[in-house]
Amino acid sequence: MPHHLDLYVKRESALHRLDPRAKMLAAMGFVAAVLLVPTRPAWPTGALLLLLIGAAVLARLPARLVCRRMLSLVVVIGMPFLLSRLGGEATRAAGEQFAARSLLVAAAFLVLLASTRAVVLLEVAEHLPLVSVFGQLGEFILRGADLLTEEVVRTNRAWVLRAPSATLKVRLTGLTQASMSLLARAAARSERVGAAMVLRGFQSKLPMATPTPLSWSHLLAGLLFALISLGLAGVVRWR
Amino acid sequence: MVAGASNRDALVRARELALAGLLGALGLLLPIGFHALGWGGKIFLPMHLPVVVAGFLVSPATAVTVGFVVPLLSAVLTGMPPLSPPVAPLMALELAAKAGAASVFYRVLRLPLWVALAAAFVADWAVLALAAWFVAGLFAIKAGAIQYVAAAVVISLPGTILQVIAVPLTVLAIEKRVPRLRPAKRDETG
Amino acid sequence: MALAALEVTSLSYCYGQGASALHDISFRLAPGDRVALLGPNGAGKSTLLWCLVGVLRAQGTIVVDGTVLGPGTAAEIRAKLGLAFAEPEDQLFMPTVRRDVTFGPLAAGVGSEEASRAAEEAIGSVGLPAETLERAAYELSSGERRRAALASILVMDPLLLALDEPTNSLDARGRASLAGILLQLPCAQLVATHDLEFARALCARALVLVDGELVADTPMDALLSDTNGLQRYGLTAPLRTDDG
Repeated sequence: MPHHLDLYVKRESALHRLDPRAKMLAAMGFVAAVLLVPTRPAWPTGALLLLLIGAAVLARLPARLVCRRMLSLVVVIGMPFLLSRLGGEATRAAGEQFAARSLLVAAAFLVLLASTRAVVLLEVAEHLPLVSVFGQLGEFILRGADLLTEEVVRTNRAWVLRAPSATLKVRLTGLTQASMSLLARAAARSERVGAAMVLRGFQSKLPMATPTPLSWSHLLAGLLFALISLGLAGVVRWR
Repeated sequence: MVAGASNRDALVRARELALAGLLGALGLLLPIGFHALGWGGKIFLPMHLPVVVAGFLVSPATAVTVGFVVPLLSAVLTGMPPLSPPVAPLMALELAAKAGAASVFYRVLRLPLWVALAAAFVADWAVLALAAWFVAGLFAIKAGAIQYVAAAVVISLPGTILQVIAVPLTVLAIEKRVPRLRPAKRDETG
Repeated sequence: MALAALEVTSLSYCYGQGASALHDISFRLAPGDRVALLGPNGAGKSTLLWCLVGVLRAQGTIVVDGTVLGPGTAAEIRAKLGLAFAEPEDQLFMPTVRRDVTFGPLAAGVGSEEASRAAEEAIGSVGLPAETLERAAYELSSGERRRAALASILVMDPLLLALDEPTNSLDARGRASLAGILLQLPCAQLVATHDLEFARALCARALVLVDGELVADTPMDALLSDTNGLQRYGLTAPLRTDDG
């Protein structure tokens, strides 16, 4: 994958080709629908799940990959859900709502991120008026994660070579010291990066390319998905 | 004649973005590591560590941004903390207030590190209490705001202790390496 | 007489505790000159380069293509003088190489399409394929990173290119390739390096810095043939000669 924190899965699919702005619109509509829809009765949640599975199929995402990525989340969410089953009716309903919503929202973002590079989504965010600064910081976080991961891998290799049979206490002490040193080096690096940015003309905002116009067909596709999701939620709410 | 100049504001902003990015990245990576080791996020609060450190090293505006972005980005990229129930948005407010308070007390008011850290914790708990009070009605949570905060504080005591130890050590280690980051005196250069 | 690409007069710089890093340095580069800035570790080579771009505030005068470096002209100077850092990682700070290389043109107000075209041209000029633009910096080898960082500077078409230890972590082939790229550039170049072999391949003239003082400004051949001088300056002659 292009970045350590990037969940992008390279595929040739209609969803991959869809404009990222349309996909974000679809995702936001879907998430809003998930938050609006009650989990009882179950059919609206099921319908939303089917809609999402359809999107995943359209993106040609391997089922095994999706399941693997959702597994850790299922384990984390499973515990409170199982505990809620021991409570009264209200607690069980709350537990179902918590589990269903958490999983659906996470799955929605998973499909979005698997079909769109994280850096592309952050660039889209940078062009939006209120969240521009978050997009900018997000890009640096993405790059920062690459750097830190590389450093950790290098440090670990050095440890393995230098102290292959070190005790846990020695390893933990060394890990703590190495972490402090890594952070200090990272902070020193940020000084140089800041200078590099200013030397390239940085003033207060990251310079951005003008976004390409959003085509009507892509916009409609995204809007349709969002409206179907919200429509499902609306049907249940109005009943 | 004094030669040389730099657009100081742009340089400061650029450095802060770079540093905030690194610490923000750590805010995403540490919880992944903790979860992989089976060390609960709610207990050890791994995301709080680098975000609070960032609060001590960058301006209040940047600190608030880091605190706000990291939980939401983590929610989107890893699914944790969850967006629903609104744990991630709540954490975003919490960490924004915490990092912001640390920055204001340490870098603007120039108070000692331990005072700023205490202020950061108070800001965190205040936001928790406010949010709990507000959210209680929406989710029909029966417990009161104070009880909620007390429960959260007790559960996360190991994480709080970790921050009390690790945050000052980390901030001092970084300031030793990059003296420019100390709020008391500023280097003439750059 | 043509304007000098770079004119430095009585440049001095002290670190915070009063320790002198550079003392009364003066030299001149004509357009198209390729000059090596030599000296042992700690001589002040990198400090000098940082002063030239105005990140460190020095005493003295720095003039780049007729523009005097001052509080209001730093941006103008930086558009004309590109600095390649010793660590290319520090100049690849965006998530993709494309964002890094288009950063300068976009910040200068160049349109997106033109910036993109310029980026493709720049990445090609350093011998990297166009696909490199879509990659993340960490996916590149150390040689590729150095070239990508160089592309991010060359895209601005600088009048003067300053390079800080450009051969760090490059193998012999990488060094030869980099020298080939630099030899084709029309801009004046100031190359801070302790790699005398690389300096000899690229530069006809050498400035020698020792303990912050400019102790020699001499043709490269003359410097390299002066064994006593090299020893005095703390430099080591290249292992191989042109004759093999």
